[in-house]
Amino acid sequence: MTLSLDWMIPLIPEEIVIIFALAALAVDFAIVRRMNPAVRWRVIGATACAGCVGAMIWIGRATNYGTSEMLALSPLTQFIKLALLGLALVVVVLSLDARFTRHTGEYYALLLLATAGLMLLISSENLLMIFIALEILSVPLYVLTAFDKTREASAEAALKYFLFGSVAAAFTLFGISLLYGMTGELGLGAIAAKLRTQPVEPVCYAALVMTLIGFAFKVAAAPFHFWAPDVYEGAPAPIACFVASASKVASFFVLAKIVIDGFGPIRGGAAWNDFRAGWMPVLAVLAVLSMAGGNIAALAQTSVKRLLAYSAIAHGGYALLAFFGNARQMLPALLFYVITYALTVLGALAVAGAVENSANGDRMAAWAGLGRRAPLLAVCMFIFMLSLAGIPPLAGFFGKFYLFTAAAAGQPHLGMLWLVIVAVGASAISLYYYLQVLKQIYAVPPPAGAMPLRASRAALFPIALLAALVIVFGCAPGWLLGRLSAVLNSSAF
Amino acid sequence: MQHVVQYLWLIPAVPLVMAGIGALLKRERRRAAAGLAIGGMAVAWVLSCVAFVASLGPDSFRATCTVKWFDLGDASVPLGWMLDPLTAIMLMMVTFLALLIFIYSLGYMAEDENFTRFFCFMSLFGAAMLGIVIANSLLLLFISWELVGLSSYLLIGFWFEKPQAAAAAKKAFITTRIGDMGLLLGMLWLYSKSGTLLFYDNGHGCLEAASLARLAAAATLGGMAVSTAISLLIFAGAVGKSGQLPLHVWLPDAMEGPTPVSALIHAATMVAAGVFLVARMYPLMSAGGHLAALEVVTWVGAITAVFAAAIAVAQNDIKRIIAYSTISQLGYMMMGLGVGGVAVGMFHLITHAFFKSLLFLGAGSVIHGCHGEQDIRKMGGLKKLMPWTFATYAAGMMALCGVPLFFSGFWSKDEILRAAWIWPSSPVPFCLGAAGAFLTAFYMMRQVSWVFFGKPAQAAGARAPAHESPGVMTIPLAVLAVFAVLAGFLGTPAWPWFQSYLNGEKVRFEPAALLASPQLNLMLVSAVVVGVAFLAGWKIYGNVAAQSLRAMDPLQKALPAFYRLLENKFFIDEFYGATVVRLNTAFAALADWLDRVLWTGAVQAVTRLTVALARFDSAIDELGVNAGFDAGCDGLRGAGRGLSWLQNGRVQRYMRIAGVAFSVLALALIWGCG
Repeated sequence: MTLSLDWMIPLIPEEIVIIFALAALAVDFAIVRRMNPAVRWRVIGATACAGCVGAMIWIGRATNYGTSEMLALSPLTQFIKLALLGLALVVVVLSLDARFTRHTGEYYALLLLATAGLMLLISSENLLMIFIALEILSVPLYVLTAFDKTREASAEAALKYFLFGSVAAAFTLFGISLLYGMTGELGLGAIAAKLRTQPVEPVCYAALVMTLIGFAFKVAAAPFHFWAPDVYEGAPAPIACFVASASKVASFFVLAKIVIDGFGPIRGGAAWNDFRAGWMPVLAVLAVLSMAGGNIAALAQTSVKRLLAYSAIAHGGYALLAFFGNARQMLPALLFYVITYALTVLGALAVAGAVENSANGDRMAAWAGLGRRAPLLAVCMFIFMLSLAGIPPLAGFFGKFYLFTAAAAGQPHLGMLWLVIVAVGASAISLYYYLQVLKQIYAVPPPAGAMPLRASRAALFPIALLAALVIVFGCAPGWLLGRLSAVLNSSAF
Repeated sequence: MQHVVQYLWLIPAVPLVMAGIGALLKRERRRAAAGLAIGGMAVAWVLSCVAFVASLGPDSFRATCTVKWFDLGDASVPLGWMLDPLTAIMLMMVTFLALLIFIYSLGYMAEDENFTRFFCFMSLFGAAMLGIVIANSLLLLFISWELVGLSSYLLIGFWFEKPQAAAAAKKAFITTRIGDMGLLLGMLWLYSKSGTLLFYDNGHGCLEAASLARLAAAATLGGMAVSTAISLLIFAGAVGKSGQLPLHVWLPDAMEGPTPVSALIHAATMVAAGVFLVARMYPLMSAGGHLAALEVVTWVGAITAVFAAAIAVAQNDIKRIIAYSTISQLGYMMMGLGVGGVAVGMFHLITHAFFKSLLFLGAGSVIHGCHGEQDIRKMGGLKKLMPWTFATYAAGMMALCGVPLFFSGFWSKDEILRAAWIWPSSPVPFCLGAAGAFLTAFYMMRQVSWVFFGKPAQAAGARAPAHESPGVMTIPLAVLAVFAVLAGFLGTPAWPWFQSYLNGEKVRFEPAALLASPQLNLMLVSAVVVGVAFLAGWKIYGNVAAQSLRAMDPLQKALPAFYRLLENKFFIDEFYGATVVRLNTAFAALADWLDRVLWTGAVQAVTRLTVALARFDSAIDELGVNAGFDAGCDGLRGAGRGLSWLQNGRVQRYMRIAGVAFSVLALALIWGCG
């Protein structure tokens, strides 16, 4: 038996990230453990940065695309991996000034392992691979959520996340096994081929719903969203950012891949004049519940992080609208939306983290007069909030615009118009709570004797960069959309 | 030549950039502003010299360069520039004169507080004028043409705090705009007929044989060829810009601007742009043997020449006299173009540019020396006080009058008269031209006698005796005087270099041509005309040295009614005031009335209605919608609290809800939608 290492070549970016994760651990143990925390965080953070950048460079140079039974490498997957690595890089930088734990090496190692899971998830073409990648992603995230041992909320959030996550994973695994039982296949393409030929049995629908639940959990779609507010609030700020941005981008992409590639034949219908069983009505129900529930619950929040969590649930609902678009429009609209949303929410949560650090809490009152106390942070938050609300010319406006047009035009006779109307109404409600935050920042005077709020450079720089990107993608949405369409066309998705 | 023409755009671009930088300077940066303007124009002059040398080369007569400006649907709009002898000679003239006049302005404007702005506007003007000259597209020409109009407006109204200056600026802008309307219409018509506005484009241009033949063959109203109709519309633009009858009224008033402006813009360059335009469009004007357009040009020019010269006889403002003289000379140029072709008209344009700017700058020097006095009746005896100014002014005056052999105006005017003499259509233009020559010499003699001869007249209230101007002003005068004399030798009948150059021929030296039949006679005739006019002028005005404002003009004593007519410029301004302006005022009053009574009433009614509706709407809003909305909002907030209650932090409940959700979804799929 000869030992061939060819199978490792397509996975080199993932391997780079994993190697650097181990390197972060090794550096920590061997060299910087006893140094002062500032140096230690910087050295290990730099190692993690190097891992992300190295993987990005490798992806940027590599052109060996191809598809096997397990994995697919296409310009599209590489593009999304680049975006994910970029988001992870921002999180790494944001963490540089975190002081919530003494386990620096483990922290960065887990972060990089989760990133590797994300990347693997993007490439997976096989339900089993997808499940494994999901777990590679999830387990480090459970741990990372609990990393702030000084706060009870962190542990509580982690436990809820873990329990809910494992139940969802169990559902998914059960669904996958049912599918395997029915079709004898695990590859997405093969499953679709089987589903196309054989009659659809009721148990098939059960399997469908079970499989989807795992992803509904990942994207925090109602009613599988309960973990999200706790995690956003309780997890260390950079980890909340990671969960809200990178993890969501990857999950939406894989969800799209599964329902279109794997469950394509049991699409069903959710148009007002054409309700048929399949994944479309399931996603429509999830979308309505998420948009309505997320937005309404957000109205009552007094913590900005929880508010952002509910808003994230609502945004997950908007994103589900893309699934009703036609094949040509849906993926560009979905990916444009989730990528720009990830940038925006990452920035907003980072600002919330900065405020929380210096104001001991992120209650609304802590934000009063931020416009005076930290003008730059306030302006960035202003941009993020308006983008989330969907005000032009910010990226959020075009994200929603593409989603809504894709959904409205996707089915014949404007079949999905009802869902678009629900979405528009829901986003009108959302403006209320976004403006509440801005009102605190700009209209409410700072409490007497409040000091100017100083954010570290490691936080300010990425936040300002993200705000700039939100404006750029809002003013020139064509570039990102054009890139997405181009990689899609060359990927035969 | 081709490699030169590619960079020809730099010639207007450099002054334009300088104007742009100058516009950003603070008012105190006087040296920088003047330096930029003069430096920019010097660069343009050097480049023009290069272009001129290139155009002398034997390789080709004309070179063009075309760039695409923008796309409009399937059509693209090209702009282009070209280099041919006409362009080259104009470039040399404009940049050289502008450079001298900029330098002269250093002295003349030295005490003005808006010195910086002045040089910015002058640079802008220079750029626009050079744009006209190099344009190979009627569109580019038109753009520059309008920019020239704008800068002329800005510079006439430079002292806008004087009401006359502001009014004159407005008058100039509006009057020339009437002509520009014709030019615009002609341009549009030309574009619709020929499909291009490029003059020369390797056989596809609108001034090239194929297009001209098409335009000349098509007929329009009354059997007139389209080419003729378009030519006449374009000529309307030239009439406005060059102050020809009946749109000449703005040019004398334009003298309210600073004197260097009068010299550069309203004597040498901008007003000559009309003549240049006709010269540029000459192939169109004469297309297919239709000469109607050129006949119109001739008659307008000839009548203007006499008419303006007559008015000049009875003016007392030193600048106004030469302003009318300018109108008259522009008439000569037009006549020259009409009867003799491009070379004849252009030759007078070039010589005139030198001696007329010389006269204007000399007048400026006189005004400067007399502390702002412009009335020639209050001057006198300046010959001794301002010797340099006198000597150069005399050279310019003799060039203008056409004193034989040694002065440029003689040769160029003689060319025009010769061409008019042999013009087949009518002998009248020749007679008008000769009469104009007589009048020209007469009024110039009158002016020079009163200003420079006799005893120094101390007008009541004059602060100090007149003084000579500084060197920065007299040196340009001297340079111009040299050119005013020498320029004529470029185009004598014996050695017609200028004419050959413009027509792309080889020049031959033929002294015999001087003595050939109509030539000699005509030279003698014009010499006699000028001599008689000088004698008459000296006889009448030379002895009446110390004039007082009360005393009547000798001519006025002899012919009171005619003098009154001339003094009041044939009452043309009054005529326009009584007709066009009054009509316009009446129309404006009508529009005002409509606006105040009719529209205001309608607007008021709509306003009232809107207010009433708004009241009604607000009542509905308050009582109905608002209450409902408040209830809705309360409901939403209540729902929010309810949902928060659902999220009570107990993970067991979360699981239960997830399980229920799964069951409901699965069952709904299986039974509900199946």
